[in-house]
Amino acid sequence: MKNSTLIKGTAAIAVGAALLLGGGGTLAAWNDAVTTNPGTIIAGNLDLAVVDNSGVWKSGTQDVTASIKDGTYKVVPGDVLTFTQTLDVKLDGNHMAATIAANNISPITNEFGSTVQVSKPELKVNGVTVADITTSQTVVASITFAFDPNTSGQTATKAHYDFGNVGFTLTQKIPS
Amino acid sequence: MRTKRRLQAAAFTAAAVVLGLCTVQGTYALWSAAASASPGTISSASFDTTMTAVNTGQTTNMTLTNGTAATLTLSPAGTLGPGTSVYGGVVVTNNTNAGGQFNAAITAGQPTLANVNGGSLASYVRVNAKSAASSTECSTATGFAPIPSTGLVSPTVVKGASTVFCFQIALDSSAPATVKGQAVNISLQLTARQLCGVPSGC
Repeated sequence: MKNSTLIKGTAAIAVGAALLLGGGGTLAAWNDAVTTNPGTIIAGNLDLAVVDNSGVWKSGTQDVTASIKDGTYKVVPGDVLTFTQTLDVKLDGNHMAATIAANNISPITNEFGSTVQVSKPELKVNGVTVADITTSQTVVASITFAFDPNTSGQTATKAHYDFGNVGFTLTQKIPS
Repeated sequence: MRTKRRLQAAAFTAAAVVLGLCTVQGTYALWSAAASASPGTISSASFDTTMTAVNTGQTTNMTLTNGTAATLTLSPAGTLGPGTSVYGGVVVTNNTNAGGQFNAAITAGQPTLANVNGGSLASYVRVNAKSAASSTECSTATGFAPIPSTGLVSPTVVKGASTVFCFQIALDSSAPATVKGQAVNISLQLTARQLCGVPSGC
C-alpha cells in the first residue's frame, strides 16, 4: 500500500537523521564512575646525629674527659689517648640502605708537628668496623692520639692540638 | 573510525613524550645526612725541672725561658785546707705539669775543674758525689765516691718529687803551700730524662 511505503520511508529517514545527528560531533556513550581509596604512602627517614655529652677521652682505662676539656690534662711523650663519640643513625624504609663515613681530621692547630700521630676516625658497631647500614642503630666513632715516645729534648713541650670539628656523613645507597 | 584513530595517535604521542622526559633526567638524588663532633684541644706538658742550691737556697729551672741551660752556683761552705773537704749539694725537683704519669731520672756528669787566674789548685782538688734523699745528708762525710764516666744517676723521681746530689770537694793533703789563696771553678752537668712508664706504653 502506498501509505505503508510512505511511512517506511519516513521512518528510515528519521532514523538516519537521528544517526547523523549523533555522529555530527560526539557520541553519548554509556559511562559509569567508581572511586577507590589507595590509602596513604609514608616516606621513610634517614638521619644522623651526635649523641649529646657522649664524647669521651681516655688514657688507657682512665677517663680524662673533664681534664682535657678544662686544659689541665697535659700529655707527655708516650701518651696514647683515645676519643670516642656515639652517633645516632636513623634509617627507615623498606628498601633503605646507607653508608656511614668519617671525614679526615683537619686540625685547626697542630703545634706537635710530626711528633703526634692522629688516626682517622674508626666507625664501629659492637666493636666491629661498619660502613654499610640498613637499620637504625648507634655507631661509635673512635680517634687515637699518640705522642711519639721518642720525642727528645724539649720538642713539643707546651704544645697544642686543636681538633676543630670532625665530620661524619650518612648517605643512602641505591638498593641492589 | 577517525575518532578512534585520532585517540590512538594522541596516546602514542603522550607516551613518547613521557619516555623522552625519563631518559633526559639521568641521575638519582639520594638522601644524606651529616653530623660533626668536637673532640677539643690536647695540650702537652712542660718538662720543668728545678734546681735548688742546698747551701744558699738559690733556685732556677734547669732550662731557662730562652731555651738555654741554666747554671747554678752551689757555693760550698768553708775554705779548703790540705786534707780537708767542703760540702755542697743541689736539690733537683720534677716540676712537670703532666696530667698522667711522668717519671724522670737525673744524671750528674763528671766535673770539670778550671783554675781561676792561673795557678795549679785544680790538680790537687778531688770532687766526689753521692745521691741522697734529703739535703741534710750533704753535711755528712760518708758515702761519697768519684763520679763514673757514665755519670751518677738518681733514683726515679716521680711527678712533684725531688732528689738530692751531694758534692764533696777535697784538697789533697799533698797540696803545696803555693796553692794557698788560689781558686778553682768546678762545673758539672745535670741532665733530666723522662723515664718510660706511661700507662699506654712507650
